[in-house]
Amino acid sequence: MPDEMEEIINDFVTETQEMLDGLDEKFVQLEKDGSNTDLLNEIFRGVHTIKGAAGFLGFNQIVDVAHKTENILKKLKDGLMAPEPAVMDVILRAVDLLKVLLEHVRTRDGKEEDISAIIAELDAVNEGEPAPPATPEPVAGAPEDGDKVHEGMPEPQPAPPGEDTRKEQQSPPRSEETKKERATEQTIRVDVERLDTVLNLVGELVLGRNRLMKLVSRLEAIYPSDEITADIAEAMAFMDVTTTDLQLAVMKTRMQPVKKVFSRFPRMVRDLSRTRGKEVELVIHGEETELDKSIIEEIGDPLVHLIRNAIDHGIEPPEEREKTGKTRKGTLTLAASQQGNHIVLSISDDGRGIDTDRLRTKLQEKGMLSAEEAEAISDTELLEYIFMPGVSTASAVSDISGRGVGMDVVKTNIGKLNGYIDIRTEKGKGTTFNIKLPLTLAIIQVLMVEVRGNIFAIPLSTVIETLREESSDIYTVKGQEVIKLRGEVIPVVRVGDVLGLGMKTGNGAGKVYLVVVAVGERKFAVLVDRLHGQEEVVIKSIEGRVSASDGIAGATVTGDGQVVLILDMSMMMMKLIKSTFVLDR
Amino acid sequence: MIDKNMKILVVDDFSTMRRIVKNILRQLGFVNIEEAEDGTQALKKLQTGAYGFVISDWNMPNLDGLEMLKRIRADDSLKNLPVLMVTAEAEKDKVVAAIQAGVNNYIVKPFTAEVLKEKMDAIFEKLQ
Repeated sequence: MPDEMEEIINDFVTETQEMLDGLDEKFVQLEKDGSNTDLLNEIFRGVHTIKGAAGFLGFNQIVDVAHKTENILKKLKDGLMAPEPAVMDVILRAVDLLKVLLEHVRTRDGKEEDISAIIAELDAVNEGEPAPPATPEPVAGAPEDGDKVHEGMPEPQPAPPGEDTRKEQQSPPRSEETKKERATEQTIRVDVERLDTVLNLVGELVLGRNRLMKLVSRLEAIYPSDEITADIAEAMAFMDVTTTDLQLAVMKTRMQPVKKVFSRFPRMVRDLSRTRGKEVELVIHGEETELDKSIIEEIGDPLVHLIRNAIDHGIEPPEEREKTGKTRKGTLTLAASQQGNHIVLSISDDGRGIDTDRLRTKLQEKGMLSAEEAEAISDTELLEYIFMPGVSTASAVSDISGRGVGMDVVKTNIGKLNGYIDIRTEKGKGTTFNIKLPLTLAIIQVLMVEVRGNIFAIPLSTVIETLREESSDIYTVKGQEVIKLRGEVIPVVRVGDVLGLGMKTGNGAGKVYLVVVAVGERKFAVLVDRLHGQEEVVIKSIEGRVSASDGIAGATVTGDGQVVLILDMSMMMMKLIKSTFVLDR
Repeated sequence: MIDKNMKILVVDDFSTMRRIVKNILRQLGFVNIEEAEDGTQALKKLQTGAYGFVISDWNMPNLDGLEMLKRIRADDSLKNLPVLMVTAEAEKDKVVAAIQAGVNNYIVKPFTAEVLKEKMDAIFEKLQ
């Protein structure tokens, strides 16, 4: 039964992956709480189980590494060894290697790793002398060429008798916690592709529903008192509600707790602070908060980046912290929470913060701000520059305050998810990044607007209000069009100009419409010819010509069958900052 | 001959392992296979239905294989139920403990369908 075998291997990969991810966190915990026997038993059982299943499936390298690791865990469990950092380093490297080996299984690339180094290290630790590792990170790198490595492979050996006699029957009773973790019998694993297909179909259904609703309202306008019209309208209303419920239900199947991303951070923070000579306590809140699977997958890299920066540049070395009256150990807080239709992730450190004065000077030196602009700009606006490509190169920023390489990439990636990031910092006190993300990527509320006969969609989540103004109310200040709204000066953006479509909007006399939009803490107004109203749309990504940097987030099909481009407001704001003087309020 | 329709319970906390064992049992022609993910769940299931055979892992959360075995033997309605224990390696003191607790046989993983068949044949021959 080759198919059955395939499925079993897939199961093995998924289940082992989950187990290994969980192990990282438990190991870090264990280092703090070495006498926690429940924890040790869980870890031991995890590695033991992986070994057992791998044995059946013939993944001998996994068996070997797991077996040697298990020997050490056994000693830790029996109190014959203490979980010192040096011991943990070796075990963690072994777990990393298991992950690499599992990846080979997953991709079916047939490659093997040279496991002799880690086996030797594990043996040395097991013999009671944690040898210094031959190379600092022997397993973290990319898989090597399998073929030549393969020949030197030691065959899996049965354990020499007496060496690792186990006394598992003596293990103490399990805790309540483990019971809870295991109470998940009512689940079924489904291939993500199938879920994606269902979501796609629901998307199409929503579009169809929207189109039908438009048609029904036309029908009602033409035959207002007709009985059939009333019946159709009633059936339509029912279908409308059901479709919305279905859409929600399908979206829920794709929701996963952010724990999935967060679980790798305790280990990462531990390793990073160890190599950087920092002392860092990681505090995690709200890891049960749920997000769409695709967002979960994309958000990992930006978070890694921010955490790395916080430890590299934010949190000071212990001695420096002591001098400034802080605790030796810095605190890094990672929090997730739901706020309405959004999820907010925040990463904050109690480190040295960003020195805005130095940033000001630096931007001037780089010619990105004139002397008077630098004078006028507020701190909030100044910090936006952190996310500009030119600024966030290491040479420019790392000596200012940290917040090193590639913040523009972080911003772009979050923008792709229809989210945005803002930053708050206080010199000497620390820095907080807030990432606001939509619950789901697929379906959003938009405001339909018309610009010279073209319809565009603006995500409703960014819209604050719409205004109808005389075009003479728009002033030009230093080449930038602005409008004064209740004492606040707001820059005005012409969609045609930003998209480079060469369209003129609302020129000449008369009334114009303005959509006031907020991205993070910044506002601007989009000038349009007409407002068409609110609509729920399914985002379809555009392949080929358009990229995220063009200011287009995607496309959709409207109720009346038109293809409409969805505007990317955060990208528009970036263009605004780049091309114009930043207005002080 | 062992009845191929006999109800068998596979106990393991790792679902991949349960699947592997089930697969091997199916290769041997058994069709009526149930699963449990630890000793506690297994005991619950055993009490509700007429099982003819249990194949159980050792190291599991909540209630491990040995403890489950002891409770099976202490239960009047289950005490004659044949139990096969799966162990990682041949571990003498473990095996001794299992035999004292009344295990019918043990099998070292990884095992093949042939080995499992031998073990099962041996168990059911003795029971005759």
